[in-house]
Amino acid sequence: MGHAWRPLAVAFAFILLILIVRIFVVPSDFMAKNGDYKYQWHRVSNEKDWKDFPVGYRGREFCGQCHPDKLEAINKSKHRKVECENCHVLPEAKKSTHPVNLQKSYKYKFIIGINKTRHLCLRCHQKLPYRPSVYRNFAKPVEFKMQDGEKHNPGMPCITCHDVHKASFK
Amino acid sequence: MNRRDLLKAGLVAVAGMVIPLNALEVFDDEAKAAVKAAIEMVPKKRRWAFVVDTRKCVGCGMCVKACKMENEVPFDADVSRTWVERYVVLKDGDVLIDSPKEARYGYTKNDPMGREIKEDEIAKGFFVPKLCNQCEKPSCVQVCPVGATYKTEDGVVLVDRTWCIGCGYCIMNCPYQARFFHPVYNTAEKCTFCYHRITKGMKPACVQACAFGVRKIGMLNDPNSEVFQIVMNERVMVLKPETGNEPNVFYIGLDKIVR
Amino acid sequence: MTEVHGQLWTIKQLFTYPNEYIYWTVHIALYPYITGLVAGAFVLSSLYHLFGKKELRPVSRFALVFSFALLLVAPMPLLFFHLLHPERAFNVFFTPHYYSAIAAFGLVFSVYGLIVASEIWFAYRPHFIAQSQSRKGIMGLIFKVLTLGSYDLDERTAHIDEKAVKFLAAIGIPSACFLHGYVGFIFGSVKTVAMWKSPLMPVIFLMSAIISGVALCIWTYILGMKFFRREICTDTVRSMGRVLAWFIILALTLEMLDFVFHGYTAEESWSILSKIIFGKFKFKIFVLQWGLGMLLPIILLFIPKLSTIRAFVASTCVLIGVWMMRWDVVIGGQSMSKSLAGFMKYKMPIWPHTFEEFREGLFSVILLLILPFIFLCIFNKFTPVFTEKKCNFDTEEAH
Ligand code: SF4
Ligand code: SF4
Repeated sequence: MGHAWRPLAVAFAFILLILIVRIFVVPSDFMAKNGDYKYQWHRVSNEKDWKDFPVGYRGREFCGQCHPDKLEAINKSKHRKVECENCHVLPEAKKSTHPVNLQKSYKYKFIIGINKTRHLCLRCHQKLPYRPSVYRNFAKPVEFKMQDGEKHNPGMPCITCHDVHKASFK
Repeated sequence: MNRRDLLKAGLVAVAGMVIPLNALEVFDDEAKAAVKAAIEMVPKKRRWAFVVDTRKCVGCGMCVKACKMENEVPFDADVSRTWVERYVVLKDGDVLIDSPKEARYGYTKNDPMGREIKEDEIAKGFFVPKLCNQCEKPSCVQVCPVGATYKTEDGVVLVDRTWCIGCGYCIMNCPYQARFFHPVYNTAEKCTFCYHRITKGMKPACVQACAFGVRKIGMLNDPNSEVFQIVMNERVMVLKPETGNEPNVFYIGLDKIVR
Repeated sequence: MTEVHGQLWTIKQLFTYPNEYIYWTVHIALYPYITGLVAGAFVLSSLYHLFGKKELRPVSRFALVFSFALLLVAPMPLLFFHLLHPERAFNVFFTPHYYSAIAAFGLVFSVYGLIVASEIWFAYRPHFIAQSQSRKGIMGLIFKVLTLGSYDLDERTAHIDEKAVKFLAAIGIPSACFLHGYVGFIFGSVKTVAMWKSPLMPVIFLMSAIISGVALCIWTYILGMKFFRREICTDTVRSMGRVLAWFIILALTLEMLDFVFHGYTAEESWSILSKIIFGKFKFKIFVLQWGLGMLLPIILLFIPKLSTIRAFVASTCVLIGVWMMRWDVVIGGQSMSKSLAGFMKYKMPIWPHTFEEFREGLFSVILLLILPFIFLCIFNKFTPVFTEKKCNFDTEEAH
């Protein structure tokens, strides 16, 4: 009868092998946190990996450290809810024209510059039939300014006449 | 068989039926509790939640741009952790839906699905921002064969980039298609509610970038948070409730045509 | 532009979510196809061992060894061609998450592989021992390893071996069914894809697995016999043909039932699902999968006095039909957007210009389809499969 168990012995050898390799390969903090095997079976230290992911967007206070005048102007304007980085981060630029090397001195992740295209302004202000015409993010609702980019001085950069930081004419 | 026997047999039969039924009532409370938990608005555990007010969204796509930059998803790749959809209903009943380039450049033309539409043909239209719903019962996590994706204690679903084998099972199993393969790491990728920001007391990049107050984040079980106030006091809706995923992203102003 | 996984072969139509691509491609169709062949071939070999269908003896050993060759190839499309991180494939064994159908599949698959391997070992033990004693050099060494160090060979051990083969065949059938039913479950449990979400899916996959496996055995048996210039046993072919025909009827009934049910209950997704079934995939489903792959073989097999040629044609049709079924399920299911408002078209890369195009393209599929036959040829050196010289079913040991 003895020989009949040999395949089973081979099988156990395989299982043993996997269990041994497992000890070396699987991180020691891999577990079902809170006993929740269904949704929390993971390497616990990965939570920390994600918490340590570098922050990119810094908000207006970061820019205001060197540009207090701009910050003050925009805080008084109707553009006070618009972050600097919305317009000044250039996703497709290769090199920064900013005089201070933000990457080096502040570990800043993005490339900053000035985007003078009409397209940038039209992202919010192009008149679309289904674009809300009332702005509701201030204490009191106000009318939201929209223009038809094809009819309103086509071809001319918006900043010829408008001052974005004051949200009014120059 | 005489009448008395019949009566006796009948009594025994009825008793025999009633006793097991009574025994079942032991489970009744448990069943009730389970049903109650499923329809409760506010969970007992700490939960990050999100509110999207679609009535205010103008479709500028600044959130998409901010998200792609913040989370290092290549800007020119045709995938995104968050995106904005445009819904336009014409007077003849046609529904046009699109989301060109996930709206990373915003909507600057009246060209739903590439069609030139006259203003007087349109009955209604609106924009709907989308992101991962950080589901209470994430079907994506359930199917990961290796435990590379999981839910944190505060309710955010994350992916371990060092452990994901890239099978795509979770991508298939997300009803909202919030997942995709990261073009650089080749692992499953999804919105994290900017876990690195919210755990430091900051707001997610998309919330900060939205000048219109469409996006809000907060703790769902914290009565002081704006999210709690909205979820408790206003009529909110979630996407695809029939999937049973129990999303933690709540929408104001949804329409039946929203997918 | 940064190329996204899936962009290469997905064409989007109408409204699909931005992140939506065909993520499960041809390899995910190939994987249940080969797994199905494994299960089918094994069931065929067990029909002889378990139910003593004598006329199947000439193919029983062949079916068993072929099943093992296919088994080795079955996970390859998934592990080495589909995964974006194939080097981490073993994570499935290291940190299995059994809530996932794929993790559980790893376990079921390994158990099944062990059953088949042990059955082969018991069936070929006398051969291994004889060879290990007569052969020299490398081959002798390999045979020595194959004996697992046991050299007793008498009436008693022969009796035990026979019993072990019977026993393994007996537990092998349910585990083969479980294996392939499980593959069906992987699809049937995806609640986001309307075409897959059905409790019938495991049974449908099981039936089509059996027919494809039996068909492949008929096909390879006829070709193999021709190749080695041996006599093809008509009774053997007819018996396999009968098994095939009855299972096709079952498979067809279930597949039709599934569609009828989707259509009759007409849930939200039906409006777009029906456009897939009766529109974009109507030729593939109704003509290739059902017409060519099932109805034609049924007719061919049920006409009395089944000839070898007819059996060969019928089994070829079944093989094509079942492949189309896998394709229609995997690609068809993903062709409708989860938004229920758009479609995706799959365009398989043909000529490989980049590694990605090879990996996801036609040539890796061809490679994977040839591989089982290469394995079979190699195994044939150690476990000769066609040992019967004549078609004589009455004597107990013909060789
Ligand atoms: S929305 Fe999708 S990816 Fe996010 S938790 Fe839910 S199922 Fe998972
Ligand atoms: S792609 Fe990665 S995270 Fe998603 S199921 Fe597969 S292993 Fe898990």
